[in-house]
Parts: sequence; C-alpha cells; structure tokens
Amino acid sequence: MATLELKQVRKNYGNLEVIHGIDLFINNGEFCVLVGPSGCGKSTLLRMIAGLEQITKGDILIDEQVVNNISAARRGLAMVFQSYALYPHMSVRQNLAFGLENLKMEVDEIDKRILEAARLLRMEEYLQRKPGQLSGGQKQRVAIGRAIVREPSIYLFDEPLSNLDAELRVATRVELKALHARLGNTMIYVTHDQVEAMTMADKIVVMNDGIIEQVGAPLELYNKPSNKFVAGFIGSPKMNFIQFDYLPNSLKEIAPSNSTSLGIRPEHLSIKDENSLSLNVETVEQLGSDSFLYGTTSGEQKISIKLNYQTDIQANQTIKVGFKLDDAHWFDKDGIALTS
Amino acid sequence: MSAVIKFFSRTHGKNKLSFIDWIAYLYLFLGFLIIFLPVLWLLLNSIKSQFLLQKLDTNLLPLDYDRVVRATVFGPDGKEIFIIKDLPDWVIYWNELRDEDKKEVNDPNLFISKFEGKEYYALRTHLGLVSDHAKELIEEKNFPEWLIKYPSMFPDAKKEYNPEEYLINLNEEEVRLLSEFLGLKPYKPNGFTSQILISAKNKETNEIEEYSVSRLNTNKDTVNARLISNPQGGIVKIPTDDIIVNKKLRPSWINYSDPLTNNVRGMSFDAIKCLNNSVFVTIIATIITVLINSMAAFALSKYKFNGQIIFFIIILATLMVPASVLIVGIFKMVSVTGLNGTLWGVIIPGAATPTGVFMLRQYMLTIPDELLEAARMDAASEWSIYWRIVFPLSLPAIAVLAILSIIWRWNDLILPMIAVSTTKTAYTIQLCLLDFQGEYVAQEHYRLAMTVVSLIPTTLVFVFLQRYITTGIANTGIK
Ligand SMILES: Nc1ncnc2c1ncn2[C@@H]1O[C@H](COP(=O)(O)OP(=O)(O)OP(=O)(O)O)[C@@H](O)[C@H]1O
Ligand SMILES: [Mg+2]
Repeated sequence: MATLELKQVRKNYGNLEVIHGIDLFINNGEFCVLVGPSGCGKSTLLRMIAGLEQITKGDILIDEQVVNNISAARRGLAMVFQSYALYPHMSVRQNLAFGLENLKMEVDEIDKRILEAARLLRMEEYLQRKPGQLSGGQKQRVAIGRAIVREPSIYLFDEPLSNLDAELRVATRVELKALHARLGNTMIYVTHDQVEAMTMADKIVVMNDGIIEQVGAPLELYNKPSNKFVAGFIGSPKMNFIQFDYLPNSLKEIAPSNSTSLGIRPEHLSIKDENSLSLNVETVEQLGSDSFLYGTTSGEQKISIKLNYQTDIQANQTIKVGFKLDDAHWFDKDGIALTS
Repeated sequence: MSAVIKFFSRTHGKNKLSFIDWIAYLYLFLGFLIIFLPVLWLLLNSIKSQFLLQKLDTNLLPLDYDRVVRATVFGPDGKEIFIIKDLPDWVIYWNELRDEDKKEVNDPNLFISKFEGKEYYALRTHLGLVSDHAKELIEEKNFPEWLIKYPSMFPDAKKEYNPEEYLINLNEEEVRLLSEFLGLKPYKPNGFTSQILISAKNKETNEIEEYSVSRLNTNKDTVNARLISNPQGGIVKIPTDDIIVNKKLRPSWINYSDPLTNNVRGMSFDAIKCLNNSVFVTIIATIITVLINSMAAFALSKYKFNGQIIFFIIILATLMVPASVLIVGIFKMVSVTGLNGTLWGVIIPGAATPTGVFMLRQYMLTIPDELLEAARMDAASEWSIYWRIVFPLSLPAIAVLAILSIIWRWNDLILPMIAVSTTKTAYTIQLCLLDFQGEYVAQEHYRLAMTVVSLIPTTLVFVFLQRYITTGIANTGIK
C-alpha cells in the first residue's frame, strides 16, 4: 500500500534526453496506466521507478520517502516484464520462491505464499514444470505470480499482455482488473494499446516524446482531450481533424476564435444536413453491426465515419455528414484544445 | 533405430552404389584409418614385451619369439661363444632388477648351482656373483686386503701391486674366479645377450636346425644367424624366406601391472602417485578455471564500466602470446611466490585462460538482460545473480570449457616442468612418462603402457561428455 510521486524526473542517455521533466502523483490503490506511442519513454520511466535505471535529475518518492539512491532490490516493488523474464532453468515453484529466498524468508512462509498465489492464478498443476513447458498465457500467470508472492507495495507492469493472442489478452485483462480489485495495491501499467488503457485504468497518463500530455480518468480523456495529440491517440478509429480553412462557412462562424482545426470522432458523425460537410465516399466497410465509411471532403481532408447500423451507401457517392456541436473539439495553432 | 540404419545406408545412386558413393565410402574409410591406426598401433605396442620393442619388432600383434641367450666366455683357449636356452625372464633381465628384488625374489646362487662349466661362468658374471665369490676366496686364503680394492684402482696405482703372484697356488677354478674379478688376462668379463630362436634348413646337412638371431628384419633378404649346435662356427646368412619363426601371441601385461604396482625394475616409478597428482591438478584446476573465467566473463558481458572494451581486448590479446614465451616469467612468478615444488604451482598460473573468458563472455551475451533485472527486482544480490542465474544458464558453454580444461590440464607438460620438475613426489603423469626415458635403460614398454593409461581419463571424458561439446559449441555465440 503506497503512494508514488515523481518530481521533475529527467533521464539522459549520454547527451540525449529521453524524459523531459515529469511530474506525477499516483494515489494509494490506484490503477495507473501509462500509454503513448512506441519510443515515447514509457518503459524508461517505469524502469526508473523500479530502480533499474538511474535517474538523471529529479526525485522519486514512495510513501513520501525519496528513493533515488535505493537499489531496485530494496524499494519493495515488483515488476512484470513484457518477455516475462522467467528463469528458464528453474521450475515454476522455484521461480516464485527465488525472490522470497533472497529476502531470507522462512520456508513455511514461502510455501504458504506460493500456494496462495498458485490458487489465485490457477496454476497449481504446473508448479513443477519449467517455463519452457508452459504456454504463453501460463508463463504470463507465473510472471504475475512471481510479483504477487512478494506482496510488494507497488506493482509495475511493462506491456505484460503484448505477447498474448487477442483472445487471451482480453481474458487476462479482465483477470488483472479483478486481481487489482481483490489486492487493492497500487499498480502502474505500461501499454500502447488504448483499449487496455481505457478498460483497466483508474487514471491514464498519456505520454509523448518524453513528456506527459494529459493525465485523467479514461472518459475524461475521451470526452475532454486537452490537446490534439491526446484527442488523436485516445479513441478508435482515430478522431478526424479538418483544417479550419476547409470548413464550410456555416461551421467557421460558430468556431471559437483562434481555432485552426476541428476534431470530430468518427462515431459522432451521422448522415444529416445540420452542421454538415459534404463527403465523397471512397470505401465502405460493412461489419454487420457497424459500418465504416472513408472518404474525403474539400481540400482532400480525410474523414472516417462509424455508423452503428448497416447502410446502403455506395463508394463514389457524395453524402452530407453532420454532428452535434457538443461533440466537436476545437484546437488552436499549437494543438491546444479550446472551449467553445 | 531404423532411422539410423536408413541414414547410414542412404546412397547417392538409386538402389545401388554409384561412383560417388564409392568415393565417399573410400574417403570415410581412409579417414577412419588415418585417425584410428596410430591409436591401434599404440594400444597393441603397449602390450609388447621389452625384448620385442628393443628389437624394433614391426608386427602389429604382440607376437613373441622363443628366446635364447647368446653368451661369450673368455678363457685361456680364447673367446668361446655359445647359446643357452630356456632361461627364466628374471635371469635374462637381471641387470635391470632393483637391488631389493634381486635379494628378495630370487636366489642367484641357488639358480646357478644347477649349471656347470662355461654356462656357469657366463651366468656367474651376468648375475654379479663374481665379486662376492672372489671376496670369499680372498678371505678364506688370507690374501691381503688391497686385492679387494684392486679392480677399482686407477691404472697408476695398479702398477705398484703384483696380483699375479697370488694365482700361483690356486686350482684352475680359483684362478679363473680371481682373474675375472681382478681383470687379469686372458680372462675378461663374460658377455650375455638375449636373442631370437629361429629354425631353418642347414645348407650343408640339409636338415632343419635351430639358429639364434639378434635382430629379425623381415624386410631384408637375409638374416644373420648363428647355428645353435655349433655357435663357434660364426655367423651365416640365411635367406629370410627360408626361416621358420616360432611365434606365440604373448601379450606382456606386466607392462601395465609393474608400473601400476610400483614394481619397475631398475627405477622407482610410482604410477599411482603420478596419476593421483594428475587427477588432483586436473580437477582442482578445472574447478578454479571455470569459476574464475565465468566470473570474468560475467563482469565483461553483463556490467557496464569504464575500460570494459580495453580489458576485453587485453584479455584477447594474450591469446596471441605463445605459451613458450611465458615460461621464464611463470617460472620466476612461481618461485617468488614459493609455489614451486607444490601442485599449486601447476594449478594457479594456468587458472585464467583467455579462450575460456572469451567463450563464456560470448555465451553470456545471449542471456537476456531482463532476466538479470528480474532477479534484481527479486532482491537478489549480485553474487546470487551470478551464481543462481547466469552460471546455471551458461552451463552448456561451461561444460565445454570444463572438458577443454580437463584435457589441457591432463596433457599439459610445460607447467608441471616449470613448477615441479625438481620435486619427484609432485610429478604429474606426463612428467612421469618423460622420466622413464634417460637415467637408466630405456623402458619403452612401460612408457607405452603408461601412455595408454594416461589416455584413459581424457578418452572417458570425451566419450561421456562429447554431446555437451557438440551442443555447447553449437550454442556458443550463434544462439
Ligand atoms: N539504453 C539506451 N540508450 C540510449 N537510448 C535509449 C536507451 N534505452 C532507450 N532509449 C531511447 O529512449 C527512448 C524511450 O525508450 P522506451 O524503451 O522507454 O520506449 P517505450 O515507450 O517503452 O517504447 P515501446 O512502446 O516501443 O516499448 C527511445 O527513443 C529509445 O530509443
Ligand atoms: Mg517499452
């Protein structure tokens, strides 16, 4: 049970700064997800929290204690790696016991904890097997089990599900969420999959290029992205952006001053005349429950639309699409969201 | 199993052997012979008797000949050459027996009492009884003391004495004994050599007769032989094709048993001690080598520190320094540290090998860093990361290094020569083998046998661990 605080944390690799001064507070028991495009520094930040990577500047505080110079072993955190990093020469039981043995724990206590974790993660049958004899999903459980037996104050996950197939990923996601509900620990979870972020997080931290773009609850990020990057990153399919100059005059008039572009999510567009753009449809995808239309509006601005019904619109047709003003996002020339 | 048979019986030609198959089989067979024949030769020669080896016998099998002794006795009538048959080995090899064995095992006096005449004289000289008997005679007759020292005097000193006068009142036997002892003419020390018994047709009598031959080289057209029934008749040449040699398959197991039971004639050779020393050196040195090299490799592959590359390059550079260049340096180091004469002087200088460090480093680079990070998160100390994660995961490469180290250490001659050549009790097997040569008579038969014994451990290591070698080498670096 712990809080985590980052104060102006920076990281340099040689002369190259990859984390540019991050401030973040994570409350006790929170499930915090770090998302961002590949290479934005999520893993680096997580490893700095874990103590595997030196921090160049700033402070990391766990439970209000500065831990900058405390080694990974003594911070009392546990980490689940993307590649699981199970010790291949040890059985599952030994993998779980290794960390506890290093803490000089009594054998009885070790056995008790391993059994508990095994029951919780349903891996009793393969405690004696080596990692090489496990499926990807089973390895994943062992990796999580290895973290659980330590009873750490904070769990760190670095893309733990990215090596699983889609179905297993969904199942494990649900399980992890349930696990968090049961354990109630602080968890920090790195992913670049926004579905994971949206479904699991109490709090999402969107990172880009070594800085935090926005911190907030999942729906807050969806409904009120504070800038163009977050608006484009959260939500699937991606939000449509239309440059101000190519908007019809009717829309230009109602735009807040200083707007340079309009953002509108595909699911918020519908076939109607009010607040409308004319769209030249190029591709139609019918998924049964939903239909996706892709096309261009004036100035070759690409637009996608998600309809939650089957449609008889054909490619090369020109249609009118409109939206509710409440669903529109306006951005200034720096990409900052404007309130209309 | 059927897959194995299928694999081996696979041919290039369909259903029958094609030209390429023949070439391939021929090539394999030749390769097999080239590798296997020297080993076979060594094995078979190691059970040949000393006699055969001295005669440069070229048979592959230990076929021993019937043996006779050619003796030369000197007397008033001049030199007499004759042949003695059916002597026991210990008599033939009397000169090579150790003093303890001479007294304990056999009684030469008892043995020669069964002979008389010239055979008695020859055997008496050969068995070293002349001086004993002569001393007894001198005491019995109350002759002066200096007679006993006379044979070992300088020629100048000898001139002051006249031993001949004491011969006057002695009988013929006593004259011969004292003259042989004192080296007075016409008597001389009698000769005694072992020879091969063959049979051949006597050209004059047209009958099969026995001959004695000193060396049998079947590549030559003729053999120099001496007729046994008339040894004084001199050497005759007999065509090699005509001779009949009686050969018996008689492996000489004493080549093995004598050194292993510390029972070598003429010298002390403690094979068990040598083997013990070698086993100790090999095992301890291999353990130390594996530990030191793997720790160095761990540091070089898994830590980042200043000068890492430089250290690695320096270690690799030592690969280019030939071992012989280091001899003097190592010798000084060993003697300064007081390790000379102990087995530690053999073990420690070779404990860190650049090859081992390089091999293990390359292997350890393939162990993902995430494993080490996971262990760090698991509160493992750096030592337990090494000992419980990296070391076990590098076992394939470590096995290769261990096998190589065992073979290096077992076969090493240079380091033992540098460190323990002055201390016999610390000789390793290779030094012991070298020691067979020289000092006394050549003991090739023991040397060959002990060479075979010294090959056994490395062979066993290879047979039982070769799968680690192949898988380990295959995994090193190319994972
Ligand atoms: N050891 C290193 N030396 C130099 N640069 C590094 C090092 N490790 C990471 N970087 C750089 O730091 C940046 C952040 O890397 P990081 O691994 O944190 O990305 P990430 O957000 O986890 O990406 P992904 O989603 O692909 O895992 C990248 O630009 C990367 O090139
Ligand atoms: Mg990453």
